[in-house]
Amino acid sequence: MLSRSAQGLYWMGRYLERAEHLCGLLRLQTETLVDRPVREIHFGWTRIYGSMNRPPPFGEIEMDSDDYTLADSYALADDLTFERSNPTSIWSCFALGRENARQMRHCISAEMWTQLNLAYLRIQKLSIQDIWWMSPESFYATTSAEINTFAGVAESTMYRDDGWRFMQLGRSVERAQLSAGLILTQLSADPSKEEEDADWTSLLRICHAFEAYNRRYGVEVQTGHALDLLVTDPLLPNSLCRSLDMTAEELAAIDPGPDTRSSDAARRLAGRLGALIHYEWPDREDREALLRQVRGYCLDLHDLVTAAYFDYPIEDHPAR
Amino acid sequence: MDFENYEIDPSIYDEMFLPDGAPREHCRQVHDALVLLSEEELGNIQERVTRSFSNEGITFTVYGDDEADERIIPIDCVPRVMSGADWRQLEAGLTQRLKALNLFLEDVYGPARIIEDGVIPVDVVRGCPQYRVEMRGFSAPHGTWVAICGTDLVRTNDGFRVLEDNLRVPSGVSYMLANRKAAKGSLRRLYRSSRVQEVEHYGRVLLETLRDLAPRGRSDPTIALLTPGVYNSAFYEHMFLAHEIGAELVEGRDLLVNDGFVYMRTTAGLRRVDVVYRRVDDDFIDPLVFRADSLLGVPGLMHAYKLGNVALVNAPGTGVADDKSVYAYVPEMIRYYLGEEAILSNVDTRLCRRPEDLEYTLDNLQDLVVKRVGESGGYGMLIGPHSTPEERDEYADQVRANPADFISQPVLALSRSPCLIDGSFEPRHVDLRPFVLHGRETRIAPGAFCRVALRRGSLVVNSSQGGGGKDFWVLED
Repeated sequence: MLSRSAQGLYWMGRYLERAEHLCGLLRLQTETLVDRPVREIHFGWTRIYGSMNRPPPFGEIEMDSDDYTLADSYALADDLTFERSNPTSIWSCFALGRENARQMRHCISAEMWTQLNLAYLRIQKLSIQDIWWMSPESFYATTSAEINTFAGVAESTMYRDDGWRFMQLGRSVERAQLSAGLILTQLSADPSKEEEDADWTSLLRICHAFEAYNRRYGVEVQTGHALDLLVTDPLLPNSLCRSLDMTAEELAAIDPGPDTRSSDAARRLAGRLGALIHYEWPDREDREALLRQVRGYCLDLHDLVTAAYFDYPIEDHPAR
Repeated sequence: MDFENYEIDPSIYDEMFLPDGAPREHCRQVHDALVLLSEEELGNIQERVTRSFSNEGITFTVYGDDEADERIIPIDCVPRVMSGADWRQLEAGLTQRLKALNLFLEDVYGPARIIEDGVIPVDVVRGCPQYRVEMRGFSAPHGTWVAICGTDLVRTNDGFRVLEDNLRVPSGVSYMLANRKAAKGSLRRLYRSSRVQEVEHYGRVLLETLRDLAPRGRSDPTIALLTPGVYNSAFYEHMFLAHEIGAELVEGRDLLVNDGFVYMRTTAGLRRVDVVYRRVDDDFIDPLVFRADSLLGVPGLMHAYKLGNVALVNAPGTGVADDKSVYAYVPEMIRYYLGEEAILSNVDTRLCRRPEDLEYTLDNLQDLVVKRVGESGGYGMLIGPHSTPEERDEYADQVRANPADFISQPVLALSRSPCLIDGSFEPRHVDLRPFVLHGRETRIAPGAFCRVALRRGSLVVNSSQGGGGKDFWVLED
């Protein structure tokens, strides 16, 4: 397939995954605003910005009285949701995902395009004032559901050619990178025991893993169990190990590019990433370091995929 | 909803009604069905049509001061209907015209007999900025310079007239198909009972045409549609057509030329391209030959083309045949090359390069349409009756300064067709752009993009200037 089309679909996958991830974070965060202590709200915002690897727009977030916290929250939510100049706001990610889809419409199914475009037209009309005073969490829930519906429509209508593979590859790389970042931010925090439980509970909720946790480990949330579930459970749809396995599978299914050095390196790296989680994680003491390694490898993997399939030098690889 | 207050002006051809107010025979069924619909039902139909465009993201781009804006072309839900007999006449006329135009191109880039025989003055052809010296001596495969043409036609009380031959990169065919889809989805039963000739096979016909032109020996050619990119106002159409014909949608940066062959960059390495359906203007397709500052083109593309290793559709240089001055000579061309009289007439055109025509034009500005030779899209023209004395004075100065840049034509009473405007039927001026394809043979889908001047009284149908569209039905006999 045309390199630029493959790249467009890869980025479409990445951006929409990122938008969905942010919806999950903000949905829980806006719920927190209703009934949780100021400390937890504060931690929530720090966690979001930390995991996105981005400083908050107005400097460090102050932990203040209720009023300030809520006013700050409005501004922070706006920054993360509708701010056009923030390249990782939900609006920006969604618009970029949709823009890639618009340019690659001929490579995806008509149903996928319609689903995405309808969602875009809805979001396009909204601003933070429209969602904030009634029920911001339902905006995030709806948007998240729209992206999930898009994935479902893709699942049932898209031809499983390389375009599909690159889209899935984008999604899984993005997801792995984001979950590694999110868990890492959580581990770096240093709360009291009681607070820790609350924070892990909210993390499980963000990752759609709370019910799974209850089913597997019972109602009492323990850091070690929560961590194992989010990182190594192959049954949890967005556990880190599943995202990495999916990355390796998609890469294995794509024919090697003309620059076989890069495409082989990409496959080996994907394998190594899986091995880190499957074989090293259980015995590893310093898990923060390991997660940092995973996140770094995800960035490398992106570069290798780009070099192997999208941006290879043509001088070295003449036409076949 | 009835047509009681619908205005019929006998001096203007109405597509649905006879001058006495009775519906034309072939429109009777559609007319009767429209009358039976309530205002609310019609409103719903109109809304569904508009929504289908918005939901599907069928947009064109308008460039303002700030940023590019994705807009939806306004579509009117009332179809324009034509009888099969009228259509056959158009079809014959369009086929004849394109045949002559291709012979003309083969001639002016070759022996130029038509100039030698004094049928067309040499300066009209060679002085035309669209005449590409680079193409001299080139002979197009199968004599097909223009494979895809979108002729603008209007109808008056005196019959059809060709307003313009668009022979470079004509656009609008995706609207023909999108309008049809929207009409089918909203008028349903009326569509079925009206026995409308289908246009959905356009993509297949286009593909056959492009395959006809593949280099010799390439029996299963790889076809690519070259777009200037997502910022082009017709990007939707490029994407749509690439999808319809299963071609790759490429930009200049996806292609490269190596040893005289054209390749595209794929995830599995470079792959040879045999046919380029290019939607990029001549000026920009190859910076080595045409504009050196072009970032949209492919260096070396013309070299590969001249070697016969790739087909370019349409061929470079076709703009000389749809130039507004050369246009005036098309009936002569038909006589000269085919020995026939033109089936479709031109609009009477005066070339201001001729002193007597210049004088006539300046004396009658208030009654004429004056157009700039190099402009398109409705820009740079003066519509005499709709202009102020100041505008005419200013325009006259421009004409006097460069007479050869201008032509003038009488103001045509473009036909009108009923449209749903603010909840009632009102007449609006329309034109018609059918698409004629020619690879080794001529193929025409029985349909067209019908453009509508939605502003009351306006004659400007261009979508960049307040125009819209509607579906166009050719009925079976």
